[in-house]
Amino acid sequence: MASTAESPATGGPSPRETSPGRSRAALPAWRGALTRLIALREGSIIVVTIIVAIYFSVNTSTFFTGTNFKTLLPYFAPLAILGAGEVFVMILGEIDLSIGAMYMFAPIVFYKFDTAGVGLVPSVILALLVCMAVGAINGASVAFLGVASFVTTLGMLFTFEGLSLIISHGIPVATPGAQVTSTTVQVHHIVNGHSITLPEKVLHRGTFASVFGGGVYAELIWALAIVALLQVALTFTRWGLYTVSIGSNKLGAAEAGIKVKLVTVRNFVLCALTAGLVGIFEAVRSQTIQPDPSGPNELLLYAIAGAVIGGTLLSGGSGTVVGALIGALFLGILKDGLILQGVNANYLLFYSGLAIIIAMTANVFVARARRGHTGLG
Amino acid sequence: MVGPESAPGDVLRVEHIAKRFGPVTALRDVNLHLKKGEVLGLLGDNGAGKSTLIKIMCGFQRADSGQMFLHGRPYAPKSVDDAREQGIETVYQDLALIDELSVYHNLFLRKERVLSPLPLLANRRMKREARAALDEIGINIPRIDVSVARLSGGQRQAIAVARTVNSDADIILLDEPLAAMGAKEGAQILDLVARLKAEGRVSIVMILHNYVHVLQACDRVSMIQDGVIALDKPTNETSVEELTEIVVNEYRRARAAAHAAAEE
Repeated sequence: MASTAESPATGGPSPRETSPGRSRAALPAWRGALTRLIALREGSIIVVTIIVAIYFSVNTSTFFTGTNFKTLLPYFAPLAILGAGEVFVMILGEIDLSIGAMYMFAPIVFYKFDTAGVGLVPSVILALLVCMAVGAINGASVAFLGVASFVTTLGMLFTFEGLSLIISHGIPVATPGAQVTSTTVQVHHIVNGHSITLPEKVLHRGTFASVFGGGVYAELIWALAIVALLQVALTFTRWGLYTVSIGSNKLGAAEAGIKVKLVTVRNFVLCALTAGLVGIFEAVRSQTIQPDPSGPNELLLYAIAGAVIGGTLLSGGSGTVVGALIGALFLGILKDGLILQGVNANYLLFYSGLAIIIAMTANVFVARARRGHTGLG
Repeated sequence: MVGPESAPGDVLRVEHIAKRFGPVTALRDVNLHLKKGEVLGLLGDNGAGKSTLIKIMCGFQRADSGQMFLHGRPYAPKSVDDAREQGIETVYQDLALIDELSVYHNLFLRKERVLSPLPLLANRRMKREARAALDEIGINIPRIDVSVARLSGGQRQAIAVARTVNSDADIILLDEPLAAMGAKEGAQILDLVARLKAEGRVSIVMILHNYVHVLQACDRVSMIQDGVIALDKPTNETSVEELTEIVVNEYRRARAAAHAAAEE
């Protein structure tokens, strides 16, 4: 309140905030566009991502190539989907650590249902329903029992990763429906006027595998679709409005009549659903279901990092799904670029860490400026 | 203590309401009535139970015992939404504004206009209606698409009040509408209340601290002490002196009790 009281009683934004707007007209068009871009919630990270991409394009011959784009995809598409769900929980001011467990658990449940003869697609649906039920338990525990989400979901993370190991006996299995079969066909070539026939291997992937993450662009298309859908839900529906309201002022939201508990449960369900979906995609893409918690645990932290880099505050009330996508893209480009540049693998984590710290600090300042607060607010 | 008394013109009647929070008794036995078009000022010391009473009337909390009647029919709101549907709107002490949302989203919170068939927010329509509503009740907010965090305390209060006025409510509950406000801003809110009173459409219960404001803006005053209504009078039959006297006596009693406890 202290800082808002500075602005005159009659009104509107204080002079401090309007001054860049006034000077904008005098600037060249590109500077105006840049000012507007930075004013966006995701603006700073868009700029940083572009700079990093340009840096790697200039410094490596292989970064800006189609082949590398395909290498880059699996780095960021899963993170973008995980981040999209996580953002809905983080805007509430909560956190969901159990996404790592859902990521690991979903393919194992899917495998069990499929081997029980349920069929591929029904097994996926059932596995996702199981994940959503776990999400509902997370949400209910936070909303009704008042347990801190960090504690609840940490417990769920260990429990369901443990359960995954128990059910699978820790043994990797081939993902049902994801096998790539090869057939040998005889191909005619004309060499120096002579017709010769050589055998060639052709790979086949089933429709199921192609759709659920196996196809080269499958996960990218899913990621873009999910991000678009959830961003619209966040910005243009009551659900999104209420999510922001709860994260910004929980008591106020309740007093206004928003069903805080219902929205909380719903967002945890969504988060678990996206995590389970990514788990199945990755199992199909890699053709194996690996019951090993180390990968999921790393991915979980990267997904949260991506959301934070993309402008979502851990304290709640603010964040975007698109931001999480860009955050994921940034982390993907950073990792891929550093590898291409031949950076010692030992430095990867170090650089990622620095990037997260810098982005997070920048976001705090950007958020303050947007709300019209000074550093002393 | 004031007992329940029913009058035919009452829009809201509260009878024998009691509420405890664990070992703390917030309300012991509260009786209140509100006539159509009336502005009732609610006074009382900090912790006397004024806000609790408001929260029970608006459906945010439920009374342990007692009854309420709305337009003569039993009234037991299950939720804030339920109370709102029955025509009771509330401005809370903490305003219940969402800092991150724009002025117009705050104005329409829980009453959002949506498009059909897709349930998307009709932002343009809400902006237009918000502007019209603010103009109609004479609140000057230059930009309604900025977040409310950027507004002054008075403007925030005005938005919170406008939110209730911009509804079909026939009863409005205001919990300390002049809290943390400058004299000029406070006068604007009291002007708004006076205008609503002149229209005669809504009845208002308003928690205030300043006796002068109560006598100026309200038709009647009720004072809560120790969880019961200690005084209930039309404002033209009481004075700042009488109201002060009651509070001073209470302080004397409290001090005497504290002394007695200390000596034991």
